[in-house]
Amino acid sequence: MNYTLDFAEVNKASLPMVGGKNASLGEMLRAGIRVPPGFAVTTDSYLSFITEVGIKDKVFRILTKANPDDVTSLDSVSAEVQKLINEALIPTNIEKAIREGYYSLCDKCGVERLPVAIRSSATAEDLPTASFAGQQDTYLWIEGTDEVIRSVQKCWASLFTPRAISYRIKNNFPHEKVLISVGVQKMVNSRAAGVMFTLNPVNGDPSKVVIEGSWGLGESVVSGTVTPDKFVVDKIVLEISERTISPKHIQCVYDPEKGEVVHADVSPEIQNNVCIDDNEIKELVKIAKCIEEHYGCPEDIEWAIDKDFAFPENIFIVQSRPETVWSQRRKGPIIGSKTAYELLKEQALKSIKIRF
Amino acid sequence: MAAKELSRFPDPHEYKVPKELAGWEEMYPSHYLFAKERAAWEKSQFWYQDKIHDPEPMPPLDLIFHEAWQISLSQYTTRVFCIPPAQGIAQRMVGCYMYICAIGPPPPEIIKEKAEYFGKRVFYVFEHYDELWEKWLKKFQALGREMAALKVPEELPKYVPEDQVLPAPRGYYASYELIEAFNTLVSMMFKGWQYHFEMLNLTYLAYLMFGDVTRKLFPGISESAIGKMVAGAYVSMFRPEEELCRLSRLAASSPKVGDIIKRDVPAEKKIEELKKTEDGKKWLAELEKIKNPWFYVSCGSGWFNYEGSWVNKLDIPFSYMKSYVERLGKGEKIERSVDEISKQRDAIVAEYRKLIKTPEDKKSFEDAYKTVRSIYRYAEDHLFWVEHWFHTIWWDKIRDIGKLFVKGGMLKNVDDIFMFNRFEVPEMIEELVIGWALGEGIPLRSGYYMEKAAKRQKILAAARKWAPIQALGVPPKEIAEPFTVMLWGVTTDKVNEWLKGAGVVPEKVSEIKGFASSSGVVEGTARVLKLMEEIVTLKEGEIMVCPCSNPAWAPVFTKIKAAVTDIGGLTSHAAIVCREYGLPAVTGTGFATSVIKTGDIIKVDGDRGIVTIVKRGR
Repeated sequence: MNYTLDFAEVNKASLPMVGGKNASLGEMLRAGIRVPPGFAVTTDSYLSFITEVGIKDKVFRILTKANPDDVTSLDSVSAEVQKLINEALIPTNIEKAIREGYYSLCDKCGVERLPVAIRSSATAEDLPTASFAGQQDTYLWIEGTDEVIRSVQKCWASLFTPRAISYRIKNNFPHEKVLISVGVQKMVNSRAAGVMFTLNPVNGDPSKVVIEGSWGLGESVVSGTVTPDKFVVDKIVLEISERTISPKHIQCVYDPEKGEVVHADVSPEIQNNVCIDDNEIKELVKIAKCIEEHYGCPEDIEWAIDKDFAFPENIFIVQSRPETVWSQRRKGPIIGSKTAYELLKEQALKSIKIRF
Repeated sequence: MAAKELSRFPDPHEYKVPKELAGWEEMYPSHYLFAKERAAWEKSQFWYQDKIHDPEPMPPLDLIFHEAWQISLSQYTTRVFCIPPAQGIAQRMVGCYMYICAIGPPPPEIIKEKAEYFGKRVFYVFEHYDELWEKWLKKFQALGREMAALKVPEELPKYVPEDQVLPAPRGYYASYELIEAFNTLVSMMFKGWQYHFEMLNLTYLAYLMFGDVTRKLFPGISESAIGKMVAGAYVSMFRPEEELCRLSRLAASSPKVGDIIKRDVPAEKKIEELKKTEDGKKWLAELEKIKNPWFYVSCGSGWFNYEGSWVNKLDIPFSYMKSYVERLGKGEKIERSVDEISKQRDAIVAEYRKLIKTPEDKKSFEDAYKTVRSIYRYAEDHLFWVEHWFHTIWWDKIRDIGKLFVKGGMLKNVDDIFMFNRFEVPEMIEELVIGWALGEGIPLRSGYYMEKAAKRQKILAAARKWAPIQALGVPPKEIAEPFTVMLWGVTTDKVNEWLKGAGVVPEKVSEIKGFASSSGVVEGTARVLKLMEEIVTLKEGEIMVCPCSNPAWAPVFTKIKAAVTDIGGLTSHAAIVCREYGLPAVTGTGFATSVIKTGDIIKVDGDRGIVTIVKRGR
């Protein structure tokens, strides 16, 4: 049984084992896209854990009590289940596998107590048909084996937040069918970070890459704490058709003293500066195209620019998942099959309205 | 700003021109003026300044092209191809500047009627485009050659030559020849302009259609990306420059010839020197071979008498060749690779096509693209043949008539003839030939004409200093006329820009918007070129700011960093050439040449269509 798998060993077919997010990282590595190194704690780990420590049946029994429309019921069910998971002692063979996975990652990066990001990667999450995004936890700047293991355990528990429970019930997703894997990945020491879409989420334009970015860690963009800089770039002619530079007062940074990610003020001199230059923008677009090409569908991508490396080695893709909104909406033809004759006739009958 | 609340422009009947322009009305045919007899209609229309063809005050005789296009463009839309909701474009003069008006849609029953004609006629043209284009070119070239062969008498001889009288009198002489020559030149110009629009309305319609299709599939696609897919490097438009490159290579291959070309002396001197050597003679023979038609390219837009063409301002092509020969000496490449441009275009189209999801949409895109590509060549090619080649011939012939006025003592300078409109010139010709026919000692009203010419030149000079308002009257609720949309780029945004600009003080403007015609962002020193002649002042690496450019300016684009124009959309000359050279361009800004001054540091953002004045020069 594989309790952990290096991202390099993972591909699309491993999804049931490592979840969507991790599988996608493995896929990207295979496609030659730079992602920070790491490994997946497999769904086998999770399943063995709840089975071997004997909480499995209890967990699902408690869950049957949840009423998705009643916040109090959801909260108490969630608290009960999470407590069970968080307080259980992880079987040694699983713990050993995670420990070894972390050691070898530290080794690979040449850093003792390597700071890592720990993210849940559910098997039902991020599928094009069901956006579970953001419903499980992410832990950043985790250092040392014990912390890593504790965070993995918290990720497992996060499968049962009140929101996730209610969402699954409402969408008829059996709790038993959702398995969770956890990704353990080197932290990018990011100067700037953000997200990008391989289509314009505003209007579904498939010829655009939309990039949003801000100073520091990508969390400030993902969580909406700052209004990020925004760029709309044509994939083909590479024109930057929209360029909005916003004042970015706050950034997410890791505070080694507190041992956690904190909001910090951005120094006034750079608040209004653009957080990525045109070369970085164009490189990101190149990568976005490559990712989309690889998956054959529009993607929603998290990226980061590492301070410690030089362009273009400084650009990392942190994760990528299928874009859900437009891929759902846009199935049929937009214009339909028309001859040039019909199109011209339509055009000839058209007039431009002038509005005031 | 208060101007923002404006929803209309000044009443054209009340708009005042500066008093220095007093008397401007008599320079143009009376039907070109706003008139009380049709005031109600005129007041309700929207009139905007035609900065594409008429960025400068209009010399009276130069109005002839506009007179011709008003009729021709409009009739193709309304009576020939019958574009259903569109009507023609009307023209008026205000203080020496031309304002035009796209007339609103006709009644619904007319739209319906026109739709039937449209379907039948237009598709025939699209389906038979290649053969029609060939026929068109033949027909047009024949007309141009006929004009070139037209004989303007060199003089009004004291006695007509013997051979015109004996053995049998010819029956008509120099007096009639002169009257006929001018009338024929006028008729031919009108005919040429009737031909001019034969396919252009449809070309623009096809372009708009393709733009619409791509915008539906890619809602945020930029105008410049659409332009990149459609535009190509067509033969005639770029041929003059290709010929310059060829001649430059030929010159560079002979040290003696190259050396002469590189000298800092007028073209005339260079030609004299070249005649003295064998290689030089050979080179001149090559030049002679291609002069007609490829040097019949205007140094300006082709619309103004004072612009001149390469063929009669040889200093201009010779200065280009000088810099080409110098660059060849440094081992640089001077030609553009047309193949490369086509390959790039095809690659871009293929990439967009790949992004289309369904086979139905793919088919529509394909059909739309084929249609626009098949006819688009006309849009770029006809320009050379009509505005450059044909106009150059016409200007030369008119100058021949001007020479007769100077000889006859009626005008001081040959070019003074352009101070009289096409209805006035026949009167002058008549007076001249009457004097000749009546015999010796017949007084002509020379003073009358000379004074008039001088007065009009003064008015035009005053008008040049005046910046008239961008538009007059009430903005329309809708526009269907393809030229208005495509060529003049009149859209909601544009009209709002103009409304905002109505009360703007040029010195206070720091940002100007236009079409994002060619991508890229650069900053540099501005060089404002209002006239072609000022081109010699342009320095390497400057940003050119001009009313609009044309094929004769092509070599300039190897020197500049970016281009900004007052007028022209994505298919304007500056836009096309900048895309080819990879230079940022913002076109159709409306008033860049009045806001930006030479020496200002400006930033041109060709991705977004914005020009920022970073720092004012001295």
